[in-house]
Amino acid sequence: MTVEHYYAPKHLDEALEVLRAGNATILAGGTDVMPQSESGKTPLRKTLVNIRRIAELTGIRLAKNEVRIGALTTISEMMANDLIRKHFPILAESGDHFASEQIRNAGTLGGNVCNASPAGDTLVPMLALDAVVELAAKPNGSVETHTTPLGSFLVGPGKTRRAQGELLVAIRIPVPPAGQVQRFFKFGTRPALDISAIAIGLAAVKTKGVLSHVRLAYGAVAPAIMRGSKTEAVLEGKRLTPELIEQAAQAAHDEVKPISDVRASDWYRRELMHNIVKRMLIDVHEH
Amino acid sequence: MGIAPEAQVETIAPHEARDAGTARTIEKDSLIGKRIAKLDAPDKASGKTRYIHDMNLPGQLHGKILHSTRVHALIKRIDTSKAKALPGVHAVITAEDVPYQRPLGVSKDHMPLKGDRVRSMRDEIAAVAADTPEIAEAALKLIEVEYEDLPPLYNVAEAMKPGAPVLHDQKPDNVAMTFDYSHGDVVQGEAESDVVFEDTFKLHYVTHCCMGVSGVIADFDSAGGLMLYSQTQVPFLHKREFAEILGIDPGRIRIVQPPIGGGFGSKLDIYPFEPIAIFLAKATRRPVKLIFSREQEFRISPTRQPVLLTLRSGAKKDGTLTFRTATTLHDNGAYTSWGATTPFVIMQTISSLYRVPHCKYHTTAVYTNNPYAGSFRGYGNLQATFAVEQHMDKIAEAIGMDPLAFRLKNAQDPGETTGQGMHFKSCGFKDCLRTVAERGDYLRKHAENIANQAKPERYKRGVGMASMLHVGGGAKIYPSDGCGTIVKIDDFAHVTVMTGASEIGQGSETVIAQLVCEELGVPMEAVTVVNNDTDVKPWDVGVHASRTTFIAGNSALGAARKARDKILAVAAKATGYDASALDLRQGTIVMAGTGEAIVPLAKLLRSLHFSEKADLVMTTHYYEPPSEHQDKGFKGDVSAAYAWASQVIEVVVDTDTGIVKMEKVWGAHDVGRVLNRLGIEGQIEGGVVMGQGYALTEELIVEDGVVKNPAFRDYKLVTAPEIPEMDVTFIESMDGEGPRGAKGVGEAPAICIAAATANAIYNATGVRIQTLPYTPENVYRALKGVNR
Amino acid sequence: MSTNIEIRFTVNGSPRTVAVPPEMSALNMLREVIGLTGTKYGCGEGECGACTILVDGMSVNSCLLFAVDCDGRKLTTVEGVVNEPAGARVRDAFVQAGAVQCGFCTPGFVVQAAHLIDTHGSKLDPETIKRGIEGNLCRCTGYKKIVEAITAAAQEAR
Ligand SMILES: Cc1cc2nc3c(=O)[nH]c(=O)nc-3n(C[C@H](O)[C@H](O)[C@H](O)COP(=O)(O)OP(=O)(O)OC[C@H]3O[C@@H](n4cnc5c(N)ncnc54)[C@H](O)[C@@H]3O)c2cc1C
Ligand code: FES
Ligand code: FES
Repeated sequence: MTVEHYYAPKHLDEALEVLRAGNATILAGGTDVMPQSESGKTPLRKTLVNIRRIAELTGIRLAKNEVRIGALTTISEMMANDLIRKHFPILAESGDHFASEQIRNAGTLGGNVCNASPAGDTLVPMLALDAVVELAAKPNGSVETHTTPLGSFLVGPGKTRRAQGELLVAIRIPVPPAGQVQRFFKFGTRPALDISAIAIGLAAVKTKGVLSHVRLAYGAVAPAIMRGSKTEAVLEGKRLTPELIEQAAQAAHDEVKPISDVRASDWYRRELMHNIVKRMLIDVHEH
Repeated sequence: MGIAPEAQVETIAPHEARDAGTARTIEKDSLIGKRIAKLDAPDKASGKTRYIHDMNLPGQLHGKILHSTRVHALIKRIDTSKAKALPGVHAVITAEDVPYQRPLGVSKDHMPLKGDRVRSMRDEIAAVAADTPEIAEAALKLIEVEYEDLPPLYNVAEAMKPGAPVLHDQKPDNVAMTFDYSHGDVVQGEAESDVVFEDTFKLHYVTHCCMGVSGVIADFDSAGGLMLYSQTQVPFLHKREFAEILGIDPGRIRIVQPPIGGGFGSKLDIYPFEPIAIFLAKATRRPVKLIFSREQEFRISPTRQPVLLTLRSGAKKDGTLTFRTATTLHDNGAYTSWGATTPFVIMQTISSLYRVPHCKYHTTAVYTNNPYAGSFRGYGNLQATFAVEQHMDKIAEAIGMDPLAFRLKNAQDPGETTGQGMHFKSCGFKDCLRTVAERGDYLRKHAENIANQAKPERYKRGVGMASMLHVGGGAKIYPSDGCGTIVKIDDFAHVTVMTGASEIGQGSETVIAQLVCEELGVPMEAVTVVNNDTDVKPWDVGVHASRTTFIAGNSALGAARKARDKILAVAAKATGYDASALDLRQGTIVMAGTGEAIVPLAKLLRSLHFSEKADLVMTTHYYEPPSEHQDKGFKGDVSAAYAWASQVIEVVVDTDTGIVKMEKVWGAHDVGRVLNRLGIEGQIEGGVVMGQGYALTEELIVEDGVVKNPAFRDYKLVTAPEIPEMDVTFIESMDGEGPRGAKGVGEAPAICIAAATANAIYNATGVRIQTLPYTPENVYRALKGVNR
Repeated sequence: MSTNIEIRFTVNGSPRTVAVPPEMSALNMLREVIGLTGTKYGCGEGECGACTILVDGMSVNSCLLFAVDCDGRKLTTVEGVVNEPAGARVRDAFVQAGAVQCGFCTPGFVVQAAHLIDTHGSKLDPETIKRGIEGNLCRCTGYKKIVEAITAAAQEAR
């Protein structure tokens, strides 16, 4: 279908009004929308809503005990932000493995979330960091917002729980508890410009060699970014030992459900899960 | 605006400058070996250069081609009526509309537009010319094609089974080509051997990935003459071929070559899109521009030849090679392009890289329903070297000799003529070997890494060595391997060099200008090279076989020397000095001995032009290298010179993931002589990284005849952060026939990389991997011994 | 065909008003509508960087940018970059270092290099450069001379 209407609203209110009518494609940085529409994978809808001029969707702020990241924050802006670097180093690190500078300059965090790729790179640390997404809509004349945990927002490849008239306005991540360690790994043969064959995010509180509040997030090993709950269970409240680490690595190997594609076979992805989770935990243990 | 000729006449009196008291001296200064910036670089770096994609002719239409959606099928029906009815569409053609079309390709085994049957997913069925690319695209979607599927052949083994479906009636056994070569007696060689190894090596599909996608613009003049804006690397051969395919007089075809966004061999054959654009131009009487998308570039461009190579080699305990037998099986794909003829080069490496007294070689190229291979930088040599150099390591280990000493013992020397008849007039092979071994500290690291193999460390370090032999003075594949040059100098001492040689980004234009400048003593700014119009430039075979610097360089030198002689003769006459006492420097006639300036060249030329016996300096030269066309048994001295190179590569293997990091590459290249250091370094660095991609990251994944990764996201070219450190040494063997001693180098640097990497991984891990590419998963599987 | 949208922006310092279909990429607009062909198509998917331009001073792939999103912005293409002294230095450095072969990738590299020098200044070291150009593919040069060219241009920027 060809686009019949194009809007570039300056205010959230206006944008939600347009979205309410339905049959609209939301455009942020366009780094997914453009190739996906060009290739015919996701054709543009009748209405194209460019949200890039909406000031309410920008900015990174500390509010109460969480950091609120505006949906339009680009990967570059996120990486350079002091709050992010301080509280969520693995999120900044994921940006460093993300596409290329040109794409980091254009692509947004909101877009990365809403595109819901199983290999979405910022999603892995955000899931490990208990991020929630803030959604807005204007169902009956006034703007309403609600939040959903990122983990339940992401459903499958390209699928989220975002309702038709909704816009993702921000991502909120709680300020980490004291003593939290964070690790991120993205498998690739080069620093960036590589679609993850696997990605792993780890956040846990380490006290005297014992891990608690363990969060593991895996990318590219299931239809959506997934929590490694079985592996978390192996680790939760336990002292890290070589045996425990091996047990956790095995749990990670077993609990993922990867596919085989041109990038990697399922077997290899599982092997990587085992080996990398093990290396990560050894690293946490040693430092 | 005319100035009366008389007004321009300038006469030259001897010692004019000296008399005027303005005498200056000009030192002799050579450009050879300097770092000379490419002439075309400023415009390219400014976005000014007009590639074919940037050209638009008035009244131009846009062409698009409908490709098959089946790997092997009969075409039962094509209905183009809906496409034709789309507003903005000017022509929709199928094979029926071009009854005059003739087959193309190396074996003339397919028509540009396939009428009744398709044999691969890249087969062309119909084409559209429309006002815009979008309309043409929309029209393609309206063409209805009804197929009747035929049993497909996805691999060589299936295709060779008795009773397999026949892909081309003229080849009932599906064998597209065979090659046989031998010298000596391999049975005797084997009997004399103390060790014998046989291994099979599997080489994959890769593709050129020129950054500028393929394209063409075809236009007819009112008298029926064809003007083709083409990216071809071989314009004169293509004139003849286009004429055959189109059934027109070659004399009516003019090919203009706008600058191209990379060649690497991909533009050595005519592929159907070019004749199809011509058919569309003919049908519409309008210029037709046809440009690929990147996805098409991946799906329907030629590939490097995938090869299964079985090598059997033997040696005596003292380290003397005894024999070598190679049998290669090539997946020819659906049709035959140059890829099928890579055995020409493969067998050279088998027979002649090292001294092999007994040698036997056989190739079978088999038709399948897969994509087909064209020529690609290195032309079979990457594949051959991958096998031969792994065997060199293997044998050395078996007989307990160090791998360098073993190679040195069997390496060719200057003056040798090999069993295949290749005569090495200049040969810096042993220098190359010693140089890289020393600079890379190869022997020490090699031994140390072996000792470290058993240690439990995650990261393993390895070094590997490989060498290559390649033609470096043209290759007499055709009856002629020559090139012509015309040099003209205008009244302002501006030199125009019309060379047959095409520039494909490799820098030939600059080297040719440099050689001419050197001869004529003019600065680089005083030279224009014209190299892109068959109506202007003299004949040349084309850009391939690393031949341009050597052949076109010699041709340009010849023409420049004639111009020089003429200028000096004129100067001698004008000044009264003997020509041999004069020299040309910085656009000035000088005394050869003292450098004393006598008269500006421009002034001398004007005095010649406007004298009573008015004349201009215009010279021509045709150079044909003193090489031989091979006989039926593939014997003969096919090139006027041969290039050598050795490389040592250091890698680190991550045993947890299989990632191989290429840390450093030491290369020593016998290039004859360095002409333009900047240019030759660029060729080598680019080649090394292309070889790195072949070894580690690139693979065109073809499953059931379909390309599975037609995009850069999954076809991984090496990016900047991945490149190894590079240490390049030039071995200047000063080839007697080469232009100022130079030999060709264009293909050499990519050739050894995969082979040296294979040896390095083995040195690191003790695991020998005979299948490319070394992607993390493939390496990891090999380390774990788990097959796919 | 869809309706055209009128947009206003500046390209290389000159104000422009054009009407474009909403699906069109900035790359196509620059090349086909405005006639600035220095910006190249290498893949159309954000993977090669040949189409790199500056938008409000940030480098982006013009093939991923919707033309309509250029409304109100400042676009700089390679033609504009080399018209400024800093960009001219980058261009000259590419020429001198031998960083240009077929040249098809070069405009994209020149724009990205100008952006890197603009953001990092003379602190730009080879490792940062390599990471900074990871989104630009070159099939000819092996990148080494490109890195050298950018290093040299960054040094001169002091
Ligand atoms: C060459 C290339 C390399 C890439 N590499 C990576 C990589 O390494 N890692 C990675 O994770 N991704 C990668 N991507 C994907 C892409 O760049 C990211 O997903 C990016 O974050 C998308 O952001 P955007 O602003 O460009 O989204 P857009 O393309 O504008 O939008 C993406 C999707 O989200 C929707 N959307 C956007 N914003 C909102 C919102 N606020 N509310 C509701 N819906 C919204 C859009 O409708 C669309 O469906 C790559 C893409 C390309 C082309
Ligand atoms: S054309 Fe835009 S990145 Fe390749
Ligand atoms: S110079 Fe040819 S692609 Fe870079």
